[in-house]
Amino acid sequence: MKVAVVGLGTMGKVHADAWAHIEHAELVGVCDLDRVKAETIAESYDATPYQDLSEMLEQSNVDVIDVCLPTYLHKENVALAAQAGKHVVCEKPLGLNVQDAQDIISVCEDHGVQLFVAQVVRFFPEYAQASAKVKSGGIGKPGVVRLTRGGGFPRAWEDWYADEAKSGRLILDSMIHDFDWLRWTFGDVERVMTRRVSRSDEDRPLEYALVTLRMEDGTIAHVEGTWAHATFHTSFELTGDKGMVVHDSAVSAPLSVSLHHNEGDASKNGVAVPESPLNENPYLRELKHFAHCILTGSEPIVTAYDALKAVEISQAALESAKTGQPVVLAKMGGGVR
Amino acid sequence: MKVGIMSFAHMHAFTYAGLLLAHPDVELTAIWDDDFERGDNAAERFKSTFYADREEFLALDLDAVVICSENSRHRDLVVQAAEAGKHILCEKPIATEIEDAREMIAACKRNGVILQIAFPVRFAPSISRARTIIQSGQLGDILAVKATNHGQMPGGWFVEEPLSGGGAATDHIVHVMDIIRWTLQTEVKDVYAELDTRFYDIDVEDCGTVSLALESGAIATIDPSWSRPKTFPMWGDVTLEFVGTKGTLSVDALKQSSTYFNDQESKVQNLGWGDDMDQGLIDDFVQCVKIKREPSITGEDGLRTLEVVKAAYQSSTAKRTVPLERVHV
Ligand SMILES: NC(=O)c1ccc[n+]([C@@H]2O[C@H](COP(=O)([O-])OP(=O)(O)OC[C@H]3O[C@@H](n4cnc5c(N)ncnc54)[C@H](O)[C@@H]3O)[C@@H](O)[C@H]2O)c1
Repeated sequence: MKVAVVGLGTMGKVHADAWAHIEHAELVGVCDLDRVKAETIAESYDATPYQDLSEMLEQSNVDVIDVCLPTYLHKENVALAAQAGKHVVCEKPLGLNVQDAQDIISVCEDHGVQLFVAQVVRFFPEYAQASAKVKSGGIGKPGVVRLTRGGGFPRAWEDWYADEAKSGRLILDSMIHDFDWLRWTFGDVERVMTRRVSRSDEDRPLEYALVTLRMEDGTIAHVEGTWAHATFHTSFELTGDKGMVVHDSAVSAPLSVSLHHNEGDASKNGVAVPESPLNENPYLRELKHFAHCILTGSEPIVTAYDALKAVEISQAALESAKTGQPVVLAKMGGGVR
Repeated sequence: MKVGIMSFAHMHAFTYAGLLLAHPDVELTAIWDDDFERGDNAAERFKSTFYADREEFLALDLDAVVICSENSRHRDLVVQAAEAGKHILCEKPIATEIEDAREMIAACKRNGVILQIAFPVRFAPSISRARTIIQSGQLGDILAVKATNHGQMPGGWFVEEPLSGGGAATDHIVHVMDIIRWTLQTEVKDVYAELDTRFYDIDVEDCGTVSLALESGAIATIDPSWSRPKTFPMWGDVTLEFVGTKGTLSVDALKQSSTYFNDQESKVQNLGWGDDMDQGLIDDFVQCVKIKREPSITGEDGLRTLEVVKAAYQSSTAKRTVPLERVHV
């Protein structure tokens, strides 16, 4: 199976590296507007560099295109790949809104290619384990579940994350991970209420949101999303009438390195750098799973429809942030399918 | 100074009684309770005198009373104690109805007595230190607060609505709401809440979340759920995380503890070693009565937090955000 990655920023690099470690996959092409990025990465993995997706589609004989472009570019580029008859892996969020996500699914269906969306949290072992624990009755009837995700404000190519029209900012870009996990674990969302604050001060933009969701099964969820903290962390607390599961990335890191005085760099003095190594990181697990599904035709752990529903929840949360009132999902444009 | 306790219905009365008994400036001279046996036992335990008759109790020359009845009885007891000229420390929540709280505040004002509400969390050193840091401006403007006051289901009259006024929301919103108001010096603008009964077979809510917009422009959530499992190593938690334009601060008022792996009871327990906040509360109240100053936690502080509780119930029923309309005092 021949694979090519388009968009070689933070995620594209992670995906390229993962593909290079998958047995039945061969990373043949990498594509980025930035020629230096494309060439550097191509060299590390013995792939061919491209600067233009159409050119890569014509010249390389790939089976799968992995789209790691900024969110607002997913739609047109997935369409190019699908029209060329390639299976598609696409980074989350699938689209900027329900309409875009639906269009992306349709274009893949129309051209008979498979579509996999990288809702990677389902491949984080702590999240997968907790979901299974809840589903097997481990906490009994769920009560209130609390999730936290975030760190600093993301800075990337052309500062596209800062533009809500390009990224959906915090709620669509980051909190979608927890929304998808909630729906995977508890089922569909009934209504969602958002409180959001943002500051776009010169060099220190911030965004922070507290979202309350009522799931159709009655579970109450509280999701904290932050681009206002100094370091990245995730946590969850899942309570039910028969138990509670708690996780905090700041507490569970098994390895921490802290160095004495660094010559020439006293600022790093004594700062502990925690790590949580795994034999296979979640991105590798995810892409391995998608490769397996492509080769065997089996149903993925996360379907394109799941990805669409996650966009729908995020869109409702964004709407609530604007109106200050809860948004009922079934009432949103008649709901999705 | 002579102090009496009115009702041991709330378990905090036992803590307060112990602290009053040990206080060098206080004589715990009298106890009244509408439950004869409970009052009589308490009087014996705390070397005090039990009065079954409320009028007789209120006719004593007490300087102050501590009221720890069921929530819905606070109003009558506070009004009567005020009319008898006693200074008052009243357990939280101030009352179960906004109108009751107003009457209590008015009665205390009319009779020139102090009304202090028992929000001991203000006396946790970690909390007051957090407030100092925030008010110093080190974190910049505060944009958001995420707070929890989890607990275990207390049972008894706490789950009987006519006596308690409600479940977890009534019991656990007010502590952290008070800290938010006290720290940020702002009021609540509107309230959204999801409340439900999902843990126990009881007639009041046992869990939920409350989501607030504040007048300052900040946002906040409070989780007041009785969601701690039976195996949780302590009774609950009090945590607040503040997000500012220049940094973040998180405070966990009960974190000063060691972990005890107790094979004898097959339990893991947190052994708290931080300063006793109830001690801080009692000392402050006694000092306040002694020098006749304004109480550090006023009836209005109690009322403003009760208004948030009431709005949370309204919102949860209506499934919408409701504006907070503050009553005049
Ligand atoms: N799953 C996760 O945890 C996770 C984490 C980060 C990002 N993401 C998602 O991955 C996607 C990419 O995010 P990122 O942080 O890697 O972005 P980025 O800004 O780091 O990288 C984007 C890259 O795309 C290139 N590019 C832009 N337009 C192009 C075009 N037309 N053709 C070829 N290359 C082009 C840019 O030069 C840049 O190198 C987004 O959808 C984002 O939401 C997911």
